[in-house]
Amino acid sequence: MSGIYVHIPFCMRKCTYCDFASYPKETYKAESYFACLYRETEGRGRQLSEKVFDTVYIGGGTPSAVDSKFIAGEMRQIRKFFSLTENPEITIELNPGTVDQKKIDEYKSVGINRFSIGLQSGYDDQLKRLNRIHTAKDFLLCCKLLKGENISADILLGLHDQTAEQVKKTIDLAIAGGVSHISMYALTPEPGTPIYTDYLNGELLSDDEVADIYDIARAYLKEKGFLRYEVSNFAKEGFYSRHNYNYWQRGEYIGLGVSASSFIDGRRFTNTYNIDEYINAVIYNKTPEIASDVIEGKDAEFEFIMLGLRTEKGIKVSEFDRLFSKDFKKEYADVLSKKRAFLDFDGENLKIKEQYLYVQNDIILAFMK
Amino acid sequence: MADRTKIRNFCIIAHIDHGKSTLADRLMEKTGQVSERESKEQLLDSMDLERERGITIKLTPVRMFYKAKDGNEYIFNLIDTPGHVDFTYEVSRSLKACEGAILIVDATQGVQAQTMANAYLAIDNDLEIMPVINKMDLPSARPDEAAKELEDILGIDASDAPRISAKSGLNVEEVLEQIVSKIPAPKGDENAPLKALIFDSYYDNFKGVICFVRIMDGSVKVGTRIKTFMSDKQFDVTEVGVFTPKMFAKDSLSAGEVGYIAASIKSIEDTAVGDTITTAINPAKEPLAGYKKALPMVFSGVFPLDGSKFNDLKDALLKLKLNDAALSIEPDNSAALGFGFRCGFLGLLHMDVIQERIEREFDLEIITTAPSVAYKVYKTDGSVLTVENPTHLPPTTEIDYMEEPMINASIYTPPEYVGPIMELCQYKRGVYKDMIYLDKTRVQLKYSLPLNEIIYDFFDSLKSRTKGYASFDYEQSGYQKSDLVKLDMLLNGEICDALSIIVHKDKAYERGRQIAEKLKEVIPRQMFEIPIQAAVGGKIIARETVKAYRKDVLAKCYGGDVTRKKKLLEKQKEGKKKMRSIGTVEIPSEAFITILKTDSDK
Repeated sequence: MSGIYVHIPFCMRKCTYCDFASYPKETYKAESYFACLYRETEGRGRQLSEKVFDTVYIGGGTPSAVDSKFIAGEMRQIRKFFSLTENPEITIELNPGTVDQKKIDEYKSVGINRFSIGLQSGYDDQLKRLNRIHTAKDFLLCCKLLKGENISADILLGLHDQTAEQVKKTIDLAIAGGVSHISMYALTPEPGTPIYTDYLNGELLSDDEVADIYDIARAYLKEKGFLRYEVSNFAKEGFYSRHNYNYWQRGEYIGLGVSASSFIDGRRFTNTYNIDEYINAVIYNKTPEIASDVIEGKDAEFEFIMLGLRTEKGIKVSEFDRLFSKDFKKEYADVLSKKRAFLDFDGENLKIKEQYLYVQNDIILAFMK
Repeated sequence: MADRTKIRNFCIIAHIDHGKSTLADRLMEKTGQVSERESKEQLLDSMDLERERGITIKLTPVRMFYKAKDGNEYIFNLIDTPGHVDFTYEVSRSLKACEGAILIVDATQGVQAQTMANAYLAIDNDLEIMPVINKMDLPSARPDEAAKELEDILGIDASDAPRISAKSGLNVEEVLEQIVSKIPAPKGDENAPLKALIFDSYYDNFKGVICFVRIMDGSVKVGTRIKTFMSDKQFDVTEVGVFTPKMFAKDSLSAGEVGYIAASIKSIEDTAVGDTITTAINPAKEPLAGYKKALPMVFSGVFPLDGSKFNDLKDALLKLKLNDAALSIEPDNSAALGFGFRCGFLGLLHMDVIQERIEREFDLEIITTAPSVAYKVYKTDGSVLTVENPTHLPPTTEIDYMEEPMINASIYTPPEYVGPIMELCQYKRGVYKDMIYLDKTRVQLKYSLPLNEIIYDFFDSLKSRTKGYASFDYEQSGYQKSDLVKLDMLLNGEICDALSIIVHKDKAYERGRQIAEKLKEVIPRQMFEIPIQAAVGGKIIARETVKAYRKDVLAKCYGGDVTRKKKLLEKQKEGKKKMRSIGTVEIPSEAFITILKTDSDK
């Protein structure tokens, strides 16, 4: 399995917690950016002509903030220069405040079949504090436009004064919108973002409080038929995100656009985070990559374990042995024994016990050699 | 060859802050050895640590030329001495190399604890004492009283003592003249077999061990085959010279001179400080009277933070020991901390200095355990053990009784702090001995105190209770029977050997509780709940709990996050290297010293 990630670095305005590459939506910049994106897509597509991809994920930023013709253009470019499988999963991220029927129609017309909506909270006062441009009502309107489609919603945990009850209500709202998938992330205050100041001043929930809410929300989601398949991701049977699952299986992916990361043929690389640098590089036929690492040996093994153990299913030992020509059980006998209280292991499937998935760093660390 | 009658070997002794280093600087300037531009704040105190703390630790000899009023040119060898109570042994070493001592007294403070201690040491070593009254530039100077104190307390005639200001340079010439007239020229026989006293040494990467020597008899030059009395090995001298204060090579050194000898000595164990160097052919029959061996009083475990650096730590300690006869080193092995050393120090400052030097000069990160003293354990079978490592204490059933080392403490303080100090001493199990009003502003309190109460936080408590005004001085005063117990700390049910301490029975509960509280603060939350327990003889006397953490995960991990997450985990792993595992519990290295910092005052 392989994926294509496309980064659209434009937003109506920046959310207080955002540390992604994103820029104010300015038409002239969008024009040049997409011209370059198409060009990069063509170049990368030609390089990777041997490979077949089965998911596309258009993320950002806010892909729905720009004219949908650009998105349609990029999809056509991908189809022209990449080989996609027969039923690719093609996701686009939407901000409920930026969509209309025309956009949705155009997305669908180019084969986009999964819509990930940034809901974050069902409470307008919280949305406002996050500098989101939409309201809870906008979310429902957006869902209405997408009726019958495969929809996912993002929800944030750990907001100012947030209660478990509020999170449950937010989940209710998402379900009312008809979603089949929910990503529920603990807010991570990154240095340099406005919310980091709130964090430093103790205005956000503590880790313990977040963990409490997470546990309650997880139980509630289960009750509603949404099963956790990864630390922060919940889905109805059959609706997990194929694109994201590929990351956790250490599958290959190509990232297109500013700040996009790739993992191809054992090499991890990332494009520049600066849009002007990106545009210049592509125009002058230089690589927009700023970092490149060939991952081998122990590092590769560790990645496989670290990523796989994020999922509810964990890793398959036979898969590990095949990929790395090793004997996992022998190689990690000490860790398996030391951390056995936190692991479920039947000889083939190794996973973190469900109650420890949220405190997994220490367990994963034991596998780092 | 230097004319012995024109040599003066002397040191300067003083109470802390009475102006020793300043006078040394001034003497060097007046003898034209150092230009003002070169003159750093204090020339002799070369180590960072010394400059920061304002104390002199290492001995640094320096040679000066002085053209006296009698028209002759004299060679002055000034041998610096450290000024802290922990370093009495170094003082005595340098005194052996001198004929005289300049005794500085602060005209505003008069005779102080160290003035007396050092003056007696100098008198014991048959040195000619040359008193100097300093700080005449201060308006509160009362030189007549200071002179009277010298006579009354120490019996030193100070009637013609130069009254100077080392700071401003006032009357420093008089000091130079008196060095010529009052301090005797060295005795000794150039033609006798070589006898050179090693009063300090250090390891130089290019020249090998550099021995700081005072030539008592005979002479030594490049090519001389030498040996020491305590080692069988022989060496060919590769360089001799003097200190200006930088090393300055010369052709030879002869009786009366102070300088250095290098002889490609590779092993630092071949030149013990205090040993005598002589020639391999026609050697001296007997060594010089050796130094009094300094006995360590405070013991602590020193372990490398990174277990693989054990050998680096060993080298560092051995190199430090070369310059420091009082440092004792023994291999140690802790279940919690792995391989390391049990080190003996003269006192807490000495311990601090050694630890800092290991970290600064050898760039090693170390873990130190709570300091202990040497207890005498009388066993039921009649045998006696000395135990300075709590883990080596025999089971209680085998112990008849124990004794702990005592000190006689002198505390000098303004009278208004007598109350708080008495409270502190009582809390520290002290027995009041005497109180002397030295004058209107100073009281001397005398207490007998158990040493193990001093090594925790006595000094800090004293300072905080007296706004820093009190000073403190102590000497060992034998052993006393005491009701002592071993206090163990259990983490998740397992004893952590490196956290065990020996305490008085009456203090066990309180300290156990304090340490448990402290540990709760420093031990990070982990995957499971960690009970922290304090126990005496298997009985739990205090308990705290570190709750399990609830969230330790990267919320998002998509394509672009993999590298970041890996770096994050690598950092976490790096942090873990600074942790030690006690069973399943991980504990940060600072936890081991934390129990020291317990503020038992509250």
